[in-house]
Amino acid sequence: MNPFVFHTPTRVYFGENSASSCGDFLRELGGTRVLMVADAFLEKSGALKPLIESIKESTGLEPILFTDVPSDSDLDCVNNATVIAREHGCNALVAVGGGSVIDTAKVINICLTFGGEILDYQGLNIIERKLLPLIAVPTTAGTGAEVSFVAMVKDHSESKKLMFGSRFLAPDVAILDPLMIVSLPAKLTAATGIDAVTHGIECFVASGTYSVFTDAICLESLRLLFEFLPIATIDGGNIEARSATLVASCMAGVAFTNSGVGITHALAHSVGAKYGTHHGMTNAVFLPHGMRFNFDTVYPRYARIAQFIGLAKPNDDGDDKALAAMLVNKVEDLLRQLKLPLTLRELGLPEFSDENLAELVDLAGADPAIMFNPREASSDDLTQLLKRAY
Amino acid sequence: MAVFTDTDELHRVMIDLWTAIKNEKEMAAQLLTSRLIVTFHYREPDGRLTVDCSDGQEMVITVGDCSKKPIVEMFMKSSVAHDFWLGKVNVPLALIQGKIVSKGPVNKALALLPAIKPAYGLYPSVIEKNGLKASIT
Repeated sequence: MNPFVFHTPTRVYFGENSASSCGDFLRELGGTRVLMVADAFLEKSGALKPLIESIKESTGLEPILFTDVPSDSDLDCVNNATVIAREHGCNALVAVGGGSVIDTAKVINICLTFGGEILDYQGLNIIERKLLPLIAVPTTAGTGAEVSFVAMVKDHSESKKLMFGSRFLAPDVAILDPLMIVSLPAKLTAATGIDAVTHGIECFVASGTYSVFTDAICLESLRLLFEFLPIATIDGGNIEARSATLVASCMAGVAFTNSGVGITHALAHSVGAKYGTHHGMTNAVFLPHGMRFNFDTVYPRYARIAQFIGLAKPNDDGDDKALAAMLVNKVEDLLRQLKLPLTLRELGLPEFSDENLAELVDLAGADPAIMFNPREASSDDLTQLLKRAY
Repeated sequence: MAVFTDTDELHRVMIDLWTAIKNEKEMAAQLLTSRLIVTFHYREPDGRLTVDCSDGQEMVITVGDCSKKPIVEMFMKSSVAHDFWLGKVNVPLALIQGKIVSKGPVNKALALLPAIKPAYGLYPSVIEKNGLKASIT
């Protein structure tokens, strides 16, 4: 067995109406003045009400609400929120939203806890002690940000993404309330859900970092996603399907934050950075290509997934390559079923100039995710994958 | 047992290695293209080495204090650095385990990993030259 490390500092609390327990957790964590970072539409829709009531009951004070978070969050947003939080003496954070909101709250938490220059904390494992209490309530089922150790925000002045990675960045509590995601539109349900599928598959084959812990988590997460993601997409009000995808996405988050992702994410990050495409939808385009690229290196692992999610009977002695190929086909079927884009062209990208292609290859080649890919990818490989995905 | 007996020995080895890298035209050219300034902070024994590629023309190697502000800083035990140059470190795992700490735009540093791989081949002779052959068996 290879050496590994597995760590999950986040307490996960699941249940219908669980969001209204937020105040109880805050009390336990010692939070008395709360900055709530949330998607603006959640405020308008009234979805934040049970959380606000719960926090008010626990602390005796209304949380300070910050909803000015762009879909691709940035340092300006972090700095603005930090100023507001300081003015009000906030000593705890609650993040309610998708990955961008939760990542923003993580970076605000660094600023609030340590002060100083945020760029001093950019990097991996720089933060070595506990931050202020942070509770995350995801309103999408896909990113895994509610349990992950990383956060990314944009620095528009430098046109680049800043990455912060430390196990201390993980929220203290993740509240998974399926009622918080029932109104998520079908398109976003599918797109964020396929992000979770990608986490599960890429983590399961990550280069020398997966473990028996992440294996078990990935397999069950993928089983739930393949079964329930199509249902949650078609029938958003189906609480069982919403619950399954929410929990599965969180599980995949626990797994990938311990073992990494791979080439699909590296390519999706590069295209997302250049063209501003939706992360989940971009992953959808690249996932079959990434899987085929890695096929010969990891097909026995794909075969295990195929077997676990029921593509073959447990005692079926079929050969691994055939089983692995069934998994790739199943992923493509799922993408079609979810009506997700299958090509970069469908995603709205213009045809690549040589210059753009070279830039994307450079970005993907320098993306930390590529380090975890089980097969090394040359610039030529990345170029071919981008062309094929177009 | 520590690979390097003291800071001087660590610095000597790392200077020799980076000088060898500097003399490998292809490798040096790729590093210079990055225009990065990377400082490596070692512990047990303590040491510090900065590789400055900022002018794109010449790689400047400095041990100890350096007047140039690094773009990326890497922190690790000297033994991890030794194992890394022997090609024995699974970098993703070392980052997950916290054995390597990276400060700054980590993607820029990671992008150089493929470029410096040929240096794995240079390291054993550097070690041998410094009388540390036993540390690689």
